[in-house]
Amino acid sequence: MDFKTYVDQACRAAEEFVHIYYETMDKRRRVLPRLYLDTATLLWNGNVVTGMDGITNFFEMLPSSEFQINMLDCQPVHEQATPSQSTVLVVTSGTVKFDGSHPHYYNQNFLLTAQSTPNQTVWKIASDCFRFQDWSNN
Amino acid sequence: MYSTAKNFRTYRTEEYKGGGNTSRGRVNYKSYFHENCGEENVYYKNNGYKSRLSQFQEDDGNTAMSDIQKDLHPRHNLSTTDDNNRKVARDNKDLIHITEWRDGNHQMRNMNKNEPGCKDRTFPMTKNKGPMPKYRTPSKREIEENGQNNIYGNWFKITIPYGRKYTKTWLLNSIQSKCSVHFTPVDFHYVRSQAHFFVKNSTTAFALKNVNYKIHDENNHQVRLFVKESAAPSSEQNKLKPEEIEQLKLAMKKRFDVSQKSLNLQSFRFDQDLMSHDIDMILNRRNCMSATLTVIEENFPELLSLNLCSNKLYQLDGLADIIPKAPQIKILNLSNNELKSLRQLDKIREMKLEELWLQGNPLYNNFSNYSTYMSAILDYFPKLLCLDGKDVTHSMDVETGASEILKPSKKNHGVSEMLKNLVLQFLEQYYSIYDCGDRSRLLDAYHDEACFSLTIPCNPKELVPLSLYKYSKSNRNMKNCKDHVLLTQLLKHTKRDVVDFLRVLPKTQHDLSSFMVDICILTEKMLCFSVNGRFKEEVEATCPVILRAFTRIFIVIPASNSRLCIVNDTLTVSNACPKEIQSDVSIPARAPSSIPVPTISQEQQAMVQAFSTQSGMKFNWSLKCLEQNDWNYAVAGQNFTLLKAEGKIPKEAFQQIS
Repeated sequence: MDFKTYVDQACRAAEEFVHIYYETMDKRRRVLPRLYLDTATLLWNGNVVTGMDGITNFFEMLPSSEFQINMLDCQPVHEQATPSQSTVLVVTSGTVKFDGSHPHYYNQNFLLTAQSTPNQTVWKIASDCFRFQDWSNN
Repeated sequence: MYSTAKNFRTYRTEEYKGGGNTSRGRVNYKSYFHENCGEENVYYKNNGYKSRLSQFQEDDGNTAMSDIQKDLHPRHNLSTTDDNNRKVARDNKDLIHITEWRDGNHQMRNMNKNEPGCKDRTFPMTKNKGPMPKYRTPSKREIEENGQNNIYGNWFKITIPYGRKYTKTWLLNSIQSKCSVHFTPVDFHYVRSQAHFFVKNSTTAFALKNVNYKIHDENNHQVRLFVKESAAPSSEQNKLKPEEIEQLKLAMKKRFDVSQKSLNLQSFRFDQDLMSHDIDMILNRRNCMSATLTVIEENFPELLSLNLCSNKLYQLDGLADIIPKAPQIKILNLSNNELKSLRQLDKIREMKLEELWLQGNPLYNNFSNYSTYMSAILDYFPKLLCLDGKDVTHSMDVETGASEILKPSKKNHGVSEMLKNLVLQFLEQYYSIYDCGDRSRLLDAYHDEACFSLTIPCNPKELVPLSLYKYSKSNRNMKNCKDHVLLTQLLKHTKRDVVDFLRVLPKTQHDLSSFMVDICILTEKMLCFSVNGRFKEEVEATCPVILRAFTRIFIVIPASNSRLCIVNDTLTVSNACPKEIQSDVSIPARAPSSIPVPTISQEQQAMVQAFSTQSGMKFNWSLKCLEQNDWNYAVAGQNFTLLKAEGKIPKEAFQQIS
């Protein structure tokens, strides 16, 4: 595959993924853990959450959310960093309002890896890093 | 091994029944023995009890034994031993040495029925060994009971089966943190994949036994730990007598150069003073090394340089103990010894060496050329400046201890601490170049095929803030841009393109104290981390400085020479909200922010002034209007008039007429 194709694939994956992720996060939170790999790590405002159980518990406890995405970017991760595993770096930012607290600006980045099945490629989250950003003024 | 161990039990029971040696038992026993016979002769090497033996073996330069040590489990009850019962076989190279023990309960038997009990023997390797007990940790009562009888003063050997995976410091600290009793490990060493050390009393041993299920490593694997009685470790046995230690100290003082803080122990064994007092300083022996290190600790703790040339050293377990005793050592000479593998260096890797001499060791032959040899050494001692007398070349740009971290799991402890330092160091170096110099020096930090993209977050209902206009041309925000072709173009690819682009971005001053770093993922092959922080953007000297907020995500991989090499890099820039400035005017969505205007040329400034006067609008609004109309004064004027007539320009745009 040439570089352009990688970039295209990454863009498509990122767009689709982000759409699904935030929809699920806001409206169908219970199934959100399915988007994560079993070995995924979640870093949420500096708190590390690992393992499927940990992640499931975490999202259960997190109050309901309303995300608005203001920025999306993605890059195909270089092969040397993740040999034999197609990986895409996805970066988003925007605002989020959790039930019971005031809105925050946030930054989030994901590393998605491709899990190929015969019919299609499914992208799953290998790492997720989320942080409030309270000093920016968009 | 386990199946034969089971058969052992059968064998033994039958024996106790008085059944004697059944052929079944004997066959099984022998097959067990054959499995181990290759290593049989080295059993005694690092194990406490056969100190005299080790003496002969080490002298022989019988180094074949050194690397294939397999720790066969000794019998777990060593009660009632004393010198009379312990007989030592004389050295004979072709035969193995066996000492037989006799005590009332646990007779070490030989296979020959005609010779029960204890005799001096030398045996050819394939015959005769006592039964090896099934390994089990003695109960507290057993430990205490036997301890009382054990004249070696209650020594216990602690074994960590996969201890080799962990560094000494991490392992000992983890164990100590879970152990209710403070312990002092003696003779810590590695044998194959296991780590071992000794402790002195039964209470400590029992407390340590309880640590068994309590420690988990970085990957959440349990670290197992087994405790069994043993004879005293070799550094304790044959401890040097006080008068010997005194002589040792004198001899070493003669060899210490105060001005250089260096100690020359080259060919220490053949030191005239020591020899004349009949002291054999064979540094391979734990007791000798330990005594030497104690003298160093007490008399030369400020030691900077240590010469251990020509001491026939084949292992560095003993030397590893020097680290807390003389922490300043920067120069180490291990040339002309018998080190067979770089794995020995693993034991002293915590030393912060700047100069190392290793030539004349067999390990040198493991490398096909000098540079692979050098980079392998640099993996252990990244701060090394001089190897075998030659300067070590480092790339100065983004130099870090990368490969240490990214190697598989050897350092599980404090990966967080080291990792943090690694990342901070990287960021310091990166931003020092980014901020005050020639950004083309960043070429060294990037991979040939690195990617970079820049985005500006933007509320979909709004425009990109005017003040970020310098970045907006390259803005790759996919929320705004859906054209895949354009998106590919906006992604900077190859280090040339990336750095060329970075050089064009405005000059910055990053505030490292504002940095919030998150380490997203760490694997053997790569490290991904994100940085949130602020920077000042310098514009003309006349205009006040602009404060920006940024998020930067780096994906780095280890490169040669312990560097980190960037493969992916994303930057998001937005305006920062300085805490001191309170916005006292609510800013409507479309208005430019209250932050001072970006650079415009003199000509343009004049234009804006004029426009402002003519239209009555504030400077910022006039600027915006002209920008939007491509600096075409006339067209701008026309559009302004039109909009004003339609009442579309908000009141705030106009200057207050006082």
